[in-house]
Amino acid sequence: MNQFALFGNPNTGKTSLFNMLTRSYETVGNWSGVTVEKRIGTLRGRSGRIVDLPGLYSLLPLTEDEGVAARFLMEETPASILNIVDASQPERNLYLTLQLLESGRPMLIGLNMIDVARNRHISVDPQVLQRELGVPVLPIIARKGTGCTDVLHALGSLTAPGSEGFRLDYGPAVEQGVSDLCILLRTLPSSSAPRWTALQLLEGNEAVRTALAGRIDGEALDSILQQTGRELEAAGFGCDVSAHLRQVRTQRIARICTAAVQRSDQAVHTATERIDAILTHRILGIPLFLAMMFLIFKLTFDWVGSLLSDVLDGFISGMLSGWISAALGGLGASPFTHALVVDGIVGGVGGVLVFLPQICILFLLISFVEDSGYMARITLLMDRTMEAVGLSGKAFIPFIIGFGCNVPAIMAARTMEHRKDRLLTTLLVPLMSCSARLPVYALFAGVFFASNQALVVMGLYVLGMVLALALAKLFSRTLLRSEPSLFIVELPPYRMPQPLSLLRMTWEKVKGFLRKAGTIILAGSVVIWFLSNTGSSGFGVDMNDSFLASIGGALSGLLAPIGFGTWQAGAALITGFMAKEVVVSTMNIIYQVPDMAGLEHQVAAAFTPLQAFSFVTFILLYIPCLATVGVIRKETASWRWTFFSMGYSLVLAYAVALVIYQGGKWIGFA
Amino acid sequence: MYQRKISNSRCSALVHIKPGAFATVQALDAISPLLRRRLRDLGVAEGSRLKVLRLGPFGGPLTFECAGQHIGIRREDAGRMEVAPA
Repeated sequence: MNQFALFGNPNTGKTSLFNMLTRSYETVGNWSGVTVEKRIGTLRGRSGRIVDLPGLYSLLPLTEDEGVAARFLMEETPASILNIVDASQPERNLYLTLQLLESGRPMLIGLNMIDVARNRHISVDPQVLQRELGVPVLPIIARKGTGCTDVLHALGSLTAPGSEGFRLDYGPAVEQGVSDLCILLRTLPSSSAPRWTALQLLEGNEAVRTALAGRIDGEALDSILQQTGRELEAAGFGCDVSAHLRQVRTQRIARICTAAVQRSDQAVHTATERIDAILTHRILGIPLFLAMMFLIFKLTFDWVGSLLSDVLDGFISGMLSGWISAALGGLGASPFTHALVVDGIVGGVGGVLVFLPQICILFLLISFVEDSGYMARITLLMDRTMEAVGLSGKAFIPFIIGFGCNVPAIMAARTMEHRKDRLLTTLLVPLMSCSARLPVYALFAGVFFASNQALVVMGLYVLGMVLALALAKLFSRTLLRSEPSLFIVELPPYRMPQPLSLLRMTWEKVKGFLRKAGTIILAGSVVIWFLSNTGSSGFGVDMNDSFLASIGGALSGLLAPIGFGTWQAGAALITGFMAKEVVVSTMNIIYQVPDMAGLEHQVAAAFTPLQAFSFVTFILLYIPCLATVGVIRKETASWRWTFFSMGYSLVLAYAVALVIYQGGKWIGFA
Repeated sequence: MYQRKISNSRCSALVHIKPGAFATVQALDAISPLLRRRLRDLGVAEGSRLKVLRLGPFGGPLTFECAGQHIGIRREDAGRMEVAPA
């Protein structure tokens, strides 16, 4: 099957186009670095496969996500390229285009965001561009789907540009180097044009060099590279080879743009500038950001989320549970099956599903922030603080994504330029309170702090954030001492997220939660139910003599100083490692309650407010969940750092809970 | 040498340009290589015309406009970017 690869600068709408061409709903956003991993989809009409790649400015990768895209071109040898060019930034975008053209593969250019360009009085003539570049150019608006059918058709009939394809003359010195290298590369089978490979080697592309390692004579290669550099210098160019290549390409782009791009000199005072004057204001900016965060919590926990949640709870614990009981009775199910389904599964899974409304609203609001363009501004506002603790302001993007789920958040750390920034962010993201911890807070805050739920929950989020910053300072001073962090951010124009795409993005994330409810939480609930009903004397023991009680009880001595030395709490913490929601499932099963009100009653009897606060703080910090541990291992490629992330969070959680509980008792709280 | 002196006397660092004013990039040599490459990726090179937009709170990043795009960098780095007021 034909394989097409999507290449383009960051934040130019590659994933939007990918979604349109494949009917997928991959996450889109309005900042640079939304996509950090390649994704494969089948084109509508099944005419081929298309690969969505992270954005990059040139084929020389600087960050991990760019490396994914650059290596793809070498290793997976896509048959054809679909290059997205942002029509409002033609000069910058065409740089990558020229490098891609040199690879000699069949290529189609999607000239995207022609509407944005028009608003800024920039018009790019696709015909002229097509003539200058020698490959088809189609104007599109990927976000709205305009022109996407044409792209689909054109992809079907794409052919290689042939020998008279695009070619840039880099001057005698470089051209000599290129032909020398071509002779060296002659024996290698390659799907890329030898000229392209030669030029990439001259430019210093590590991805290409690594791919060729061992297959060509390294010494001969180096001697050609040095020779070319010397001759370039002798010819009177005062720069190195890569700078020279860039210069030649930039000059050519300037010529192309003179022909194809028309700009009116009319000054554009865009809405973006007016909005930024307020949102990134030097005094108002940070308070507005905090106010927005508070609004998100208010909406999630107070105004909308908990109201809907109560309705859902009424339905699940009342009607649904009743129906299931009746159905089981009708089928003549044994008491064992009845107890397993009603107490184990409905109690465990249903107890978590009750929080679906809060999770939906939180994801919806995060998607709104992602798609609006505000994300990049947050990094700008927070950079000063982040710099003070040795991080880049860009680390704040993974932190915010982490409020939804830690797994994609850790992957988002790839977009940072320094390895140290990436590692530090990866280690600290688990302190961001993800949506899985939300059911635990909602349960406990509902019982003990009902009158100011949003405030208490926001306090927990802030605590996680403050501890992350404090540890960033500590780690960057001790473990990861190296060069200072780096910060540069592109501020894309604001745009109003489209309701439909917002709902789809939210649904994609909510689906992940539902999938988890149907797998890990379901399996966990069944196992917990069994463990809570079996003991050394067999099945049907009193719960206090069950295996679960002995497992949880083993920890109780250790947990007593921090306020919750019961086997129930210990068991909930152990099972919570699978997924934090399972803490609530476990409590539901252990306390064997039919509905939220019953559980709240039980919890109120088992914990004092101070113990409850210590417990939720411990839940916030104590360990990254199983899925997060997996992704930390994958991103750091090191078991040492993975165990470190688990170890430090356990120690931190214990220390903080100890301070809260013992300190609280000392002050006089119960 | 004399020529160079003249050009230097007209030169200033980006950080000293007032918000709302324009400047032309003279040199990026003093900027760290990684950041310099990122700037070039974004089309900020010698000769680019910039407009300073605003300064962030508490010594926070400086935002400027270049060819219609808005870019934020740290003030410290903006202090290393040689520009000529325009």
